[in-house]
Amino acid sequence: MKSNKPFILFGLFSLFFVACKKDDPKAPVIPNEEEVITTLNFTLTPVGGGTPVEFKFKDLDGDGGNPPEISVGKLDTNTQYTGSVELLNELETPADDITIEVREEAEEHQFFFQSTASGLSVAYDDLDADGKPIGLTTTITTQGASTGTLTITLKHEPVKDASGVSMGDITNAGGETDIEVTFDVGIE
Amino acid sequence: MFAQQCPLSISGSVKDMSTGISISNAHVFVKEASLKDVTDSLGLFTIDAVCEGKYHLAISHIGCESQEFYLTISGDTSITVFLDHHGQLLNEVALLDQGENPSTQESHSLHSDHMAKYSNKNLATMLEDISGVRTLKNGSGIAKPVVHGLYGNRLTILNNGIAQGGQQWGADHSPEIDPLLANKITVVKGVGALEYMGNSLGSVVLIEPKKIGKEPHLHGEGRYFFESNGLGNGLHLALRQSNKMLAWQAVGTLKKNGDKRSADYFLRNTGNEEAHLALQMEKSWNKKWLSRLYFSSFNANFGVLRGAHIGNTTDLKAALERDVPFYTKDKFSYSIGSPYQKVNHHLLKLHTKYTRGDKELFDISYAHQINLRKEFDVRRSGRSDMPAMSLRQVSSFFEAKYRRVLSHHWSFKSGVQLNRVDNSNLPETGILPLIPNYLAYEYGAFGMATKLIRKTTLQLGGRYDFEQRKVATITKTAPREIVRYDKAYQAMSAMGGVKHVFNKAWKMSYNLGFATRNPEVNELYSNGLHQGVSGIEEGDPELNKEVSLKHTWSLKGDIKGKLFFEGLFYFQNIDDYIFINPQDEVRLTIRGAFPVFKYEQTDARLLGFDVTATYQASERMYFKGSYSYLDGYDRRNKMPLVYMPSNHFKGSFNYQIPSLGKFYNVEFQVNSRYVFKQKNVLLSQDFVAPPEGYQLLGLKMSAERQLRKLRLTTFIRAENLGNVKYRDYLNRQRYFADDLGFNLIAGMNINF
Repeated sequence: MKSNKPFILFGLFSLFFVACKKDDPKAPVIPNEEEVITTLNFTLTPVGGGTPVEFKFKDLDGDGGNPPEISVGKLDTNTQYTGSVELLNELETPADDITIEVREEAEEHQFFFQSTASGLSVAYDDLDADGKPIGLTTTITTQGASTGTLTITLKHEPVKDASGVSMGDITNAGGETDIEVTFDVGIE
Repeated sequence: MFAQQCPLSISGSVKDMSTGISISNAHVFVKEASLKDVTDSLGLFTIDAVCEGKYHLAISHIGCESQEFYLTISGDTSITVFLDHHGQLLNEVALLDQGENPSTQESHSLHSDHMAKYSNKNLATMLEDISGVRTLKNGSGIAKPVVHGLYGNRLTILNNGIAQGGQQWGADHSPEIDPLLANKITVVKGVGALEYMGNSLGSVVLIEPKKIGKEPHLHGEGRYFFESNGLGNGLHLALRQSNKMLAWQAVGTLKKNGDKRSADYFLRNTGNEEAHLALQMEKSWNKKWLSRLYFSSFNANFGVLRGAHIGNTTDLKAALERDVPFYTKDKFSYSIGSPYQKVNHHLLKLHTKYTRGDKELFDISYAHQINLRKEFDVRRSGRSDMPAMSLRQVSSFFEAKYRRVLSHHWSFKSGVQLNRVDNSNLPETGILPLIPNYLAYEYGAFGMATKLIRKTTLQLGGRYDFEQRKVATITKTAPREIVRYDKAYQAMSAMGGVKHVFNKAWKMSYNLGFATRNPEVNELYSNGLHQGVSGIEEGDPELNKEVSLKHTWSLKGDIKGKLFFEGLFYFQNIDDYIFINPQDEVRLTIRGAFPVFKYEQTDARLLGFDVTATYQASERMYFKGSYSYLDGYDRRNKMPLVYMPSNHFKGSFNYQIPSLGKFYNVEFQVNSRYVFKQKNVLLSQDFVAPPEGYQLLGLKMSAERQLRKLRLTTFIRAENLGNVKYRDYLNRQRYFADDLGFNLIAGMNINF
C-alpha cells in the first residue's frame, strides 16, 4: 500500500501558509528621536549693549535631500561680543533644548571655532569640572573689515588635554563630530 | 600463555572510499585491548592475540577523516574499512559520486578533523582554505565568505539544509553559524542553487551538522585552543550516543578573546565573546521512517574597532591620514564597549525521511528561525547602552522533497518550499530604522533530472520562485509618516551540466546556470546614515531584478600519481547588477558633509579562475600551490567593479610522518600567502587607493596519540610569522587600522 502520509502533511502545511497570507507587517513605531539636533543658533551680543547678531543653521530632514536653512548676520568692526550657542531639536513641539544635555556632559564635549576672516578671534568663556573649556559661551573680538567663513564644530569625546586643544586648535582633538556648520561671515 | 586464551585475530584492508585504492600507513587500533597495527603497502593489516569480546576499532590516516566502529569478536574476523580521503589533494566531496546524490557541480569540502586544527576561526575565515573563497571583513571578528566575487544577498548559506535567515545583506554582518558544530562544510562553486530557496546567483555554502552514528556508548570529543593574538581561549565539547530508543547529540562551544593586535599596536575594542549550543535527536521508527529534531543557538558579542567609529567626512579624512587610529591605547583589555554588535540566532528543525524500497525517498522538513541583531554605537547622554539598530527576524520554513532513481541510470529530484519572513525593528533605539519592517511570503518549486551514460553524467534542472512582500517604511521628511508597499516578485532559474570521466586520471565538467535575483529590502528601502563608512545610503524602490548567466568549466587530472591538478574557470554576466555607487553629491547636514551612496543597477561581468596543483615529491613530502584570479567589469559604464577580491596565491610545503615514537600522523607544514594589490579599480570609486599587496608566512604542526580509548591530537599553528604590517582591500577596517600581526595558536583535541 503506497503511503500518502507525505502528501497529506504537505497539504496541511501549505494550508497554514495560505491562510495566514492576510496579515501585514507590524506597524513600525515612529521613534522618539531624542538625540537629533536640527538647529544650531549662535547669538553674538555686543558687550555694553546693542542688537544681538544671529547665525542660524536649521536642517529638519537630517540625512534627507532637502538643503538646510542658513541665515547670517553682519558683525561690526572693533567690537567685542559675548557668543552663546543654543542647540535644539525642532522636530518636537515645543522644541527640545539639547544644550542642556551637552552642558550635563561638559567633560565629553567641546566646541571649536575656526574662522578664515582675518579680523575675527574667538576665546572660550566657560569651563567644565576638569577646568577645560566647553565653548557654549565665548568672547568674540573683531578688528578691521574682512570677510570669510566661520566653522563651528562640536566634538563628542575629544582628547581635551592633547596639544593645543584647550586653546581652540582642533588638530589633535580626535573624538566624533556631532556638529559641523559653516557660516559666511562679514565684518564691516 | 596469553596467546592461547586470546587466539583470535582481526585482519583486513583499508581502502579509499571514492576510488577503492588501498591506503598504506593507516593506523588501526583495538582500543580496549591496546593493540594496534599499521597497514602495509597493499593496505593490509593483521592484529593477533585478540580475546573474545567487544571492542572499539579506530582507524586513522593523515589526509582522511578518521573512523571508528564497534565490533563483537567471537572468531577470526576480516573486515574492509573505507576511509574518506581528502586532506592531501583535492578536497573532493561525496556529492560527485555516482550514487544517491549525483552532481555535475564543482564543490570543495572541509571536514571535521581538518577544522579541528583551525578551531579558533569563524565560519568565513575557516573557508579561506578553499581556493576561490575570500572573506569580506570588518575587523577579524566579523567576516562574510565571498565566493567567485559574490557575497551577502548573492550567496546562499545553508545551515543543516535551511537557508540562513537574518540580515545577510549587511557587509558587516557575519553569518551566525559556528563552524565547530559542523561535521562538514561544503562550498558548491557554480550554479548549484536550484535545490535551495534563497537569492543565490550560483554558489552555495552547505554546513552539515555532525552525524550521531550508531555507537551504543557515550562518545564525543573535547577541544581546547589558545590564541596569542587577542589572548583568546576556546572550549568545545560534543557528546553523542545511539541506542534502540533514540540517538542524541549535544554540542557546545565557548570562545572569548580580547583586543586583537596589529603588527605595531593593539586594536582597541576588538574583543569577541561567543556561546553556542546544538542539540540533536534522531529516531528510526522502522526501516522506512526516520525523524530528526535539530536545535541550534548562536550567541555572540563582537567588538568593533573604537577608532573606526567616526562622524562626518572631515573626521573620515583625518582618520585616513593617520597611521595609528584614534583611541589606540598601549594596554590590552578583554572588555567590549560601544561600538559593538550583539547577535543571537536560534534554529529549530524537524525533519522526517521516508524511504520506499531503495529507489524512492521522501523528505519533509519544517524549520523555525529567530534572528536578533543589535548594534550599539557611541551615543550621547548615556544612550550608548541603547542599541542604534535593533532588528528581529522570524522565519518559518517548510519543505517537501522527492527523489527517485529510475532504470537506465536516470534519477530525478523535485521539491516544494514555503517560507514566511517577519522582519521588524524593535522600538528601543530612538533612531529612524535603516531598513524597514516587512513581511514576506515565498513559494518555490524545483525539479532536476540526472542521467548517467557510461562515463558521462548529464544534469538538467529548473526552479520557480514567487514572493509577496509587504513593507512599512517611515518617511524622512517631517512629520514622519508610515508609507506601505505591497509588491510581488517572480524569479526563475535553470541549469544544465555535463561531467565526463575520461579515465581514472582525468575528469572534466561544464555547467551553465541561468538565475534571477529579486532586489532585497536593503537595496530597495535603505535610508539613512551608515555609521561604519560615514556615508548616507539610499535605496531605490524601483530596482529591477538581476538576471545572471554563469558558465563554469573544470578539469581535474592526475599525472602518474605524482602531480595532481585542478582548474576551475568561470564566466558570469549579471544584467541589472545592483550595487552601491558613490554619488558626486555631498550632502550637507548639521553634522557636516557626508558622501551619498545610492543603490543603482548596471551590467556586470565576472571572469575568473582557480587553479590548484599538488606535487607528491615522495611518500612523505608534498608541495601544494593554488592561484585565484578574478576580473570584475561594469559593462555599461566601462569601468571596473568595486570591492572585488584581488588575485591571490597560496603555497605550502608539507611533510608527513605516519609514526614517530609514540606519535602518529605527524604533520609539518610551512605555508605562504601572497595577496596582490587590487589594481583593477579606479581611484574615484573609493575613499583611498587600495592597499599594497602583502605576503604572510605560516607554520603548522600536529601529531596524534592513542591512549587506550582516547585519541589525542595536539597542534600548533603560527600565522603572520614575520609580524608583517599590512592592510587588506576587503577588510573595511583598512580605512582606519592595519590588519592582524603575529598569532600563535595551540590546541588539543580529545576524541573518546
